[in-house]
Amino acid sequence: MTNLLLQADDVLRQRLDARHSGDRQTLRALVVSTIAFGAAYGLAMGSFGGVWGERAWLAVFSAAKVPFLLLATFAVSLPSFLVLNVLFGLRDDLGRVVRALAAAQAGVGIVLASFAPVTIFWNVSFADYQTAILYNAAIFAVASFAGQWLLRGYYRPLVARRPRHRYLMRAWLGVYAFVGIQMAWVLRPFVGDPLADVRFFREDAWGNAYVAVWRVLADVLR
Amino acid sequence: MIGALRDLDRILRGDATQIERLREASLDVSVRRLAGLLVALGGIYGVCMGSYAVFRHNEADYPYYWQLLSTTLKVPALFLLTLAVTFPSLYVFNALVGSRLTLLPVLRLLVASLGVNLAVLASLGPIVAFFGVSTTSYPFMVLLNVAVFTVAGVLGLLFLLQTLHRLSLAESKNAAAKSDAAQGIVMAEDANLPTRPTVLELGALDRTHDHVLGEHVKKVFWCWIVVFALVGAQMGWVLRPFIGDPSGPFVWFRERQGNFFESVWQTLITLLSGG
Repeated sequence: MTNLLLQADDVLRQRLDARHSGDRQTLRALVVSTIAFGAAYGLAMGSFGGVWGERAWLAVFSAAKVPFLLLATFAVSLPSFLVLNVLFGLRDDLGRVVRALAAAQAGVGIVLASFAPVTIFWNVSFADYQTAILYNAAIFAVASFAGQWLLRGYYRPLVARRPRHRYLMRAWLGVYAFVGIQMAWVLRPFVGDPLADVRFFREDAWGNAYVAVWRVLADVLR
Repeated sequence: MIGALRDLDRILRGDATQIERLREASLDVSVRRLAGLLVALGGIYGVCMGSYAVFRHNEADYPYYWQLLSTTLKVPALFLLTLAVTFPSLYVFNALVGSRLTLLPVLRLLVASLGVNLAVLASLGPIVAFFGVSTTSYPFMVLLNVAVFTVAGVLGLLFLLQTLHRLSLAESKNAAAKSDAAQGIVMAEDANLPTRPTVLELGALDRTHDHVLGEHVKKVFWCWIVVFALVGAQMGWVLRPFIGDPSGPFVWFRERQGNFFESVWQTLITLLSGG
């Protein structure tokens, strides 16, 4: 536990090399912190509407979904990004690139987890479902900005060595956002609707985030 | 297989296309080994592309496994057939504008470019498979696949252009004099750091320092793009369906009608109007 928190501190201060010597060890530690901190926020997020009786499951589901959202998006986006890096002549930096991405990912989890007490407080004090969704969307937005900021920090030495890392980093952010938005859409609900039954997936969740957003826009404009 | 992967790795990281290496032994890759790998990579992307058909939700009796099998076979077929159909004309154009490349080097160059193209395509496969599994919108899948094929195709063409240029540099008579200038000189751009030139090996898509493209390199390249892209797009059109329209029954091939570009436009309209 102490180790996990110390590691979180290292991730935020961008000095990963201090504690671990091996690349593989660092990566494993980063994945573990993504899971642990993501799950912590999931628990807090799923506590909306109380944690008594059957509704306790919602918190457990959310605790499983948040780390899955982060790691699955990471895994789906990674292969193409690695091939792109090799193709643009950055093969030698791959180890550092993957570590920078994993660290930014862990950073998102840590920032989310740091908001967990606030989220619990929110869930205790407000009962409106729509506002809770908006609140969580805002927290996720803050966490992803923080993650982006961390990624820029971790990329700084790489960019200094080879300026084209900057463009590849932007490509990563684009692909990650594209996949992540759909992943979050598929994994709904994160915050359980107090009027609906408790379940892991929504029946109608299968679909496409972009098509859905476009339909809403088209309806408004029509 | 290991040898083929090693070849592909050398191509992707630009090892096989360093000017020094090209001067010694032209493009040193094995066509037979790479062709096998192209089939495998195309098959991987085919499986990802066909995943949309497997997870169709509206019909229980749809033979999705046939669609999956058909897509897995069609993606490699698309690229290899396009190469087979266009190779004679590509070679003739190349000879006509006065390039020194002979038959085997041209074939190697094209196969290597397809290798880059298919490697990028296969690496984007997980994203396509994820959307295929979770999406119900058919127009969205069509456009996503068009976008993915475009990205992979553009990178393949960039590789083709750069390698063509390097081959012509390596073969030109005064290549020796240019050898120093041809090493890429990369300057550190960040103003906060002391600017120091670092001599690095060129990546597969990097411009050489001497980046004025030769006249015949440009001509060959444009001829090739036009022939290859037109035949490729039409080949893709003839081999339809790749994704499997959920509103119709399974077919191996569709009737001949329309063309690729018209259809992409129509699909975009369908998606934007709420399909």
